Amino acid sequence: MSTEPTPAGSELDFRQDVSRTDIDHPGPGFASHLARLAPSATPLFVVGSGLVVLSCFLSWSYDRSILGNVGIYGNPGSLQLIALVLGLFGILLALMRGPLRRFLPWVDRAAAARALGVGSLVFAVVIILAITLESSGLINVDPGGWLLLVASGLMALGGTVMQPTETEDPLRAHYGSTTEILVFVVLLAVGLAVVAYALDVKDGGSFVALLTGLAAVGAALGRGGFFQYLAVASARHRTVLTLGAVAVAFLFPFTQGGSDANMSIATQVLIFATTALGLNIVVGLAGLLDLGYIAFLGAGSYVGATMSYSAFATIDWKPPFLVVMVIGGMVSATLGLIIGSPTLRVSGDYLAIVTLAFGEIFRLAMNNLDGENGPDLTNGPNGVPAIPELEFGSFNFGDSHEVLGITLTRFANYYFLLLLFAAFVILIFIRLNNSRIGRGWVAIREDERAAEAMGVNVFGLKLFAFASGAFLAGLVGTIKAHHDVSVSPDQFVFLESAFLLAAIVLGGMGTVAGVFVGATILKLLPEKLRFLSDYRLLMFGALLVLMMRLRPEGIVPSRRRQLEFHADDEKLAEVVGEQHIEQEEARA
Amino acid sequence: MTDLLQQLVNGLTLGSLYALIAVGYTVVYGIVQLINFAHGEVFMIGAFGALATWTVLFNGTTSLWVLPFMILGAVAASVTVAILMERFAYRPLRHAPRLAPLITAIGVSVFLQEAVRLFYPGAKSKLPFPQIEVVTGPAVHIGDITVQRAAVFTVVSLAVCGALLWYFVNRTKLGRGMRAVSQDPDTARLMGINVNRIIVIAFAIGAVLAAVAGVAQGLQNSNIDFRIGFLAGLKAFTAAVLGGIGNLLGAVVGGLVLGVVEALATQFIPGQFGGSSWKDIWAFGLLIIVLVFRPQGLLGAQVVDRA
Repeated sequence: MSTEPTPAGSELDFRQDVSRTDIDHPGPGFASHLARLAPSATPLFVVGSGLVVLSCFLSWSYDRSILGNVGIYGNPGSLQLIALVLGLFGILLALMRGPLRRFLPWVDRAAAARALGVGSLVFAVVIILAITLESSGLINVDPGGWLLLVASGLMALGGTVMQPTETEDPLRAHYGSTTEILVFVVLLAVGLAVVAYALDVKDGGSFVALLTGLAAVGAALGRGGFFQYLAVASARHRTVLTLGAVAVAFLFPFTQGGSDANMSIATQVLIFATTALGLNIVVGLAGLLDLGYIAFLGAGSYVGATMSYSAFATIDWKPPFLVVMVIGGMVSATLGLIIGSPTLRVSGDYLAIVTLAFGEIFRLAMNNLDGENGPDLTNGPNGVPAIPELEFGSFNFGDSHEVLGITLTRFANYYFLLLLFAAFVILIFIRLNNSRIGRGWVAIREDERAAEAMGVNVFGLKLFAFASGAFLAGLVGTIKAHHDVSVSPDQFVFLESAFLLAAIVLGGMGTVAGVFVGATILKLLPEKLRFLSDYRLLMFGALLVLMMRLRPEGIVPSRRRQLEFHADDEKLAEVVGEQHIEQEEARA
Repeated sequence: MTDLLQQLVNGLTLGSLYALIAVGYTVVYGIVQLINFAHGEVFMIGAFGALATWTVLFNGTTSLWVLPFMILGAVAASVTVAILMERFAYRPLRHAPRLAPLITAIGVSVFLQEAVRLFYPGAKSKLPFPQIEVVTGPAVHIGDITVQRAAVFTVVSLAVCGALLWYFVNRTKLGRGMRAVSQDPDTARLMGINVNRIIVIAFAIGAVLAAVAGVAQGLQNSNIDFRIGFLAGLKAFTAAVLGGIGNLLGAVVGGLVLGVVEALATQFIPGQFGGSSWKDIWAFGLLIIVLVFRPQGLLGAQVVDRA
């Protein structure tokens, strides 16, 4: 800090302000008091983590019937295992300074510690709240629970005051291939275990606590730079990762032991996600605001229903299912062309309203074509119930069968079919994204007039996006008709379109993983948080508003979209640029 | 002939309701290029505001002098919601890509619907709306044509509101500011106009008219429900586009035209495709036709040129 007096009014006056840092010379104030604690940050953090681990072996709650039994001394219950992970992770982070530093020089210890500490504190508060609400009050919290609270508070304090240290760039971290593949395998296995566990959680309080714990771990990993490392590493081992993800998805039904409860959720998630992926082509890639997408799904469903062997089907021609699928897709695509042609010429906002109007037209038309108000094509408000199961040759999808000693029920059959179909849609999505068409869409999204001037066929590409999105929705719809057994106009209200859009927006536009994340969240949470079911839509609306305010690009966005939403953020542009270079080099 | 005149009258009634709500859409879109999806909910909340005022203050009375207070209650509720919406949901996103405010608007719309359904006592089913004397009751007969009293109220309130709006926009300073901002916000800012305040006023004006429409809806249908906002909002936006988005007179004209088309289609389209179950479809079909052949609407659009 400069102490020589500078002549008043000279350009050197600013020196005094610039050279001052709070770390070297803390001034008065709360931040300075915290900074004085800095040397004791790591001990605080370690003690906190250790105590968290200890608390897992104590009883948290006097009432043993709640939260999956966290009331036994010496035997950690389900949620206590999560706290165990948090505590062990904390100890691991503290050790980063010493022996582990050589292997992991790129981990931002202080930021990760801060995230982990705060996350653990939130977790402890949630646990205490859950115990209080689910049993008869605060009195039910045993000493173990209070220890958890205090310990996580220590972790939070230690993490907040920890001094940041020099770290290397996580984007440039590079280990041997075997090590990295091992890391991925472990990650996928852990992911599968967590998902299986999450699906089995019975009560709402446990589920919220589980989510909080996972969020704490995720935040700590993210702040530590782990996800940045993953982004580059996954570009190096793209094939392995894809195969691994496919294997995990394929193995999922075998972990269910024949129970239908989770499989029905899983099939619904898959249908929803595949439809959302089709919408992602329209909204995420081409940037067209489609609010009536559910109509295309509905068109496919009705085609599948009316051409099935249901007693209420209104069309006498019964072709094999693959033909029905294609017809369903073509009908939807034709509808897409009819709607798209007039409206894609005008501005994007009008498109939103027109597609919304068209969605309503579709629903009302399906409602009215019951013989009285129009030709009897769709059986009116009652829809087409009692649709029989799919049959491919001699394989009836309704039959259960045994594979390797594990029963696979009807839902598991549909799950595999939908998985195959989802793989097909993902393939189309990726190929479109990385093609000339995809680049044309990016150009249209960013500046339509410039794209037109550069020779991009704006109208043609928009129409293609619209029609192909509609085609995919039609295909899914035909399967959906058989899965849901009945089809009625009420299944295709505007709110469903809003949910589809929300899945893409929440999960992340322009990426495959993002859509699946969003679809899982939107379909799984209402199932697991049944105690909030009355407030479901209220929270959905609030969630949309908050997401747009805080993270409009979604949870797993494509980097390009992230840049589009944060056009003024230079630091982000730098990070993304570097990551892109690293990924390209890794791929080569 | 009387059939035609009767349907014209019905159409004008329906259309006045659409016109009142359409003004809110058009004025907001003209200035900030935002389709305020939640404007239909503002209309619904106006109706509930009137009902709440009556339930709390005047329960049991159906005399005419209660009506102005109900309208005030409706306006208070609508304007509050609209201003809060603008301040907390839309203003932070003013420079974001188009998708963000649209999604926010959908979120706000769902949130408001559910909030009313959950927190207004009894809102989970239809709630009866007080039938104020003079503006409801036995229908008026003019020759062979039957006119509902509430319909008269709707048309008269459109006329009054329209006149007040015209006076505000063309003869007051704030109105001049609004016209300036809708032509070029940046230059308006340079001229010393507080653009943020003008935008808030735009939202508020839309809310006032929507509130009056809410009261009219309640009087016409004798009950209200948390779902009335959705379809009415959609039709009103159709009306705004029909007349020319951003154009205040266009919103009124568009609303009336839409109402008349719906009424005539209901009555005069023969065979299975006539009747009330198809009228919404004709309305939306009209929107698509307008966008194909005359996207700037009947009276010409007036949107800020952001080039």
